Amino acid sequence: MTAKFTSTAIAALMVASAAPAFADEITFLCYQDGNECDVIGEMLPEFTAATGHNVNMETVAYDVIRDQLENQLQTDAAPDVARVTNLGGLNQYYLDLAPYVDRGTWEAAYGATLPWFRAPGAGDDGIYGWMTQLTVTGPYVNVSLFEDAGVDMPGDGATWDDWATALAEVQAATGVTAGLAMDRTAHRMAGPAFSYGARFFDDAGNPILVDEGFRNFAETFVGWHASGLMPVEGWPAGEGTQYRNAAPLFQSGEAVMHMSGSWMINSYSENITDFEWRAVPAPCGVGGCGAMPGGAAITAFKSTDAPEAAAAFIDFLASEENAARFASATRNITAHQGLQASGVDYGDASPAVAAALSVFAANAGKAAETTPQAYTFQGYAKNFVIYGVVPDYLTKAITGEMSLDDALAAIDADVAAQIAQ
Amino acid sequence: MIDAFIAAFAGSPWPLYLALYLAVGWVLIRPTGPIMGQLASIMGWPIEMTQRLAGAIGLPYLFLLPNMLVFGLFTFAPMFINLGFAVTEGQSILFDERAFAGLDNLRRLVAETQIDTGAANLEDDKFFSAVYDTAIFVIFQVPVMILVALFSALALNRQIIARGFWRAVFFYPVMLSPVVVGFLWSLILKRQGVLSQSLIMWGWIEEPIQWLTDPSWTMFWSVFVYTWAHLGFYMLILLAGLQAIPRDVYEAAEMDGTSAFRQLTRITIPLLAPTLLVVTVLSLIKAFQAFEELYAMSVRWSSLVAYIFETSGLRGQATANGLGVAAMASLIVAAVLIVLSLLQVWLSSRGARQ
Repeated sequence: MTAKFTSTAIAALMVASAAPAFADEITFLCYQDGNECDVIGEMLPEFTAATGHNVNMETVAYDVIRDQLENQLQTDAAPDVARVTNLGGLNQYYLDLAPYVDRGTWEAAYGATLPWFRAPGAGDDGIYGWMTQLTVTGPYVNVSLFEDAGVDMPGDGATWDDWATALAEVQAATGVTAGLAMDRTAHRMAGPAFSYGARFFDDAGNPILVDEGFRNFAETFVGWHASGLMPVEGWPAGEGTQYRNAAPLFQSGEAVMHMSGSWMINSYSENITDFEWRAVPAPCGVGGCGAMPGGAAITAFKSTDAPEAAAAFIDFLASEENAARFASATRNITAHQGLQASGVDYGDASPAVAAALSVFAANAGKAAETTPQAYTFQGYAKNFVIYGVVPDYLTKAITGEMSLDDALAAIDADVAAQIAQ
Repeated sequence: MIDAFIAAFAGSPWPLYLALYLAVGWVLIRPTGPIMGQLASIMGWPIEMTQRLAGAIGLPYLFLLPNMLVFGLFTFAPMFINLGFAVTEGQSILFDERAFAGLDNLRRLVAETQIDTGAANLEDDKFFSAVYDTAIFVIFQVPVMILVALFSALALNRQIIARGFWRAVFFYPVMLSPVVVGFLWSLILKRQGVLSQSLIMWGWIEEPIQWLTDPSWTMFWSVFVYTWAHLGFYMLILLAGLQAIPRDVYEAAEMDGTSAFRQLTRITIPLLAPTLLVVTVLSLIKAFQAFEELYAMSVRWSSLVAYIFETSGLRGQATANGLGVAAMASLIVAAVLIVLSLLQVWLSSRGARQ
């Protein structure tokens, strides 16, 4: 028996040493809104064939990334590579890919989004991750309801006030639950607030949330709830910093407009069958035509044992060819600047999807021109604090638990306390 | 089957090993007494040896050890870690990255002025509103549930038709997962839910009522659903208590012509008092910890556990000092619960002496 064991052990050792010395195995924690991980999964065999490295991909729910990844990183139990959305917030854990990739290529292709990962202030010029896609907030409308009501849809360049009037007319004529539905997070509210002139940051990049523009929008926003344009089961139904998704309401045909973002295109094109929907340009105002850019990225972490393989994997995905494949197969807006210029071929995408993609791409462009604070907000490392605190107090103003003045003062004070060092 | 058994051991020297095991046992134990007893001792020699080495007093602790290890790892260790979080500050969960802060987290939680920014503190408002709302919930939920549980136990203790079925009906919600209970009731209570739609159909109301969002209804339904979900458990304890009361006491009372109501107040309730006390303490503690059903229904108020859960940042994004503040809040809640439990014990022992 002992002899048998020894021979097995020797055989195992021989097999292990026969594998190429540079082949590493890396773990990759992925989440998907649609089919993003599936598409990456299809690319893995090519990566292994090209480099010899193996990627062990685990697909999890977004909550796992949001709630558990940072704790895993603190306790060295983290994966080597993960798909994340809190780009600036996880900066201290990122592996700098710069020693392993060609800086010139990356700067040319992704120069606009690389700063989103970097530490606040000057001096950090690391390359930390590949933006899998750009997302932009913006509204979807239920075209069928507009037609049923016989109301004309406001055109390009319309303001939020124009839209609110039109939505209220449609709501009154059709008797649906909501004229305007919005996910309960300041991330969706920020675009409209920019349109009303909210600056969010001072010239030094410090958050100054409540200014005249923000106050104007907050008053309007509370008014939209008071008039019934926005539904009671949306923002007012949430407690504290809780996130609430308004997509089910829009999908059931009970909301005329859903203030959401480009990440919903694929889901809406597959799940909405009994009415016609359309993405419309971000409404404007005195402050411009605000929309929040954002997106998910694939990053590697310092704690990895195989930095070279992790960097090679991200470099592989970020190549122009694979970025194009990814954008096309997932119906997303690419962050690759060369592809943005030349255009991504979305193949057999339906007209609604193709139109929505170009509307959202235009939203991003217009926001960059007219409301640059949107990009500052996206790159701000503690933006997640603001996303939660604003709904907490605005809800109290909507339900009448607090006056709007008190709520606005509380927003400033609470954000300051939550981001205090 | 025997063939299979033999085949399974074919080729392995198992009889040798068994003989060796028994021989070692015989040498170590040196059993005496009847032959069957000797055989049993040799078969189980590791246990015999342990008992001899540990002695009769040590043995129980040896058997408790595995459980104590699990208990220590998952109950005591987190308690001390929580204490550690409460007196340190920072965003990390690692103690070497958290600075000692003394009672700073207590100030962050209850002081009028926020110590980091110098502006007005808002954490105290959130915390006290959670305390206030939870207190309202407990004050209504516990008595309501005990009364309803008592009456259903009394009813189900009588000779009624299909008694087993009714007991199952009342106990059934206890077996449901709290999250299932929450989702089930939110289907009933949401705007397009069964309740509002039925009331509209009957012409009792014009517009759907937001049962879970409307501030004047959300607490009522929290108490209702929580009572519905937990009633069966306490009813079962009371039922056991009722059945432990000797029949002959009632027979004697009936011979004396005592009315049914007098039997209830003079016999049943006094003899049930110890069980009622257990039920009260248990449901009080449970009500203070109310969370899962309420979270799944997304009611419009924060219970204490929901406040701690959200402030800690363990779900969602961590904030600067949220973890320490939440840990401090949990210690305060624990202290209050300990005081309440001791008060209950004191009251009951005083009652028993009288």
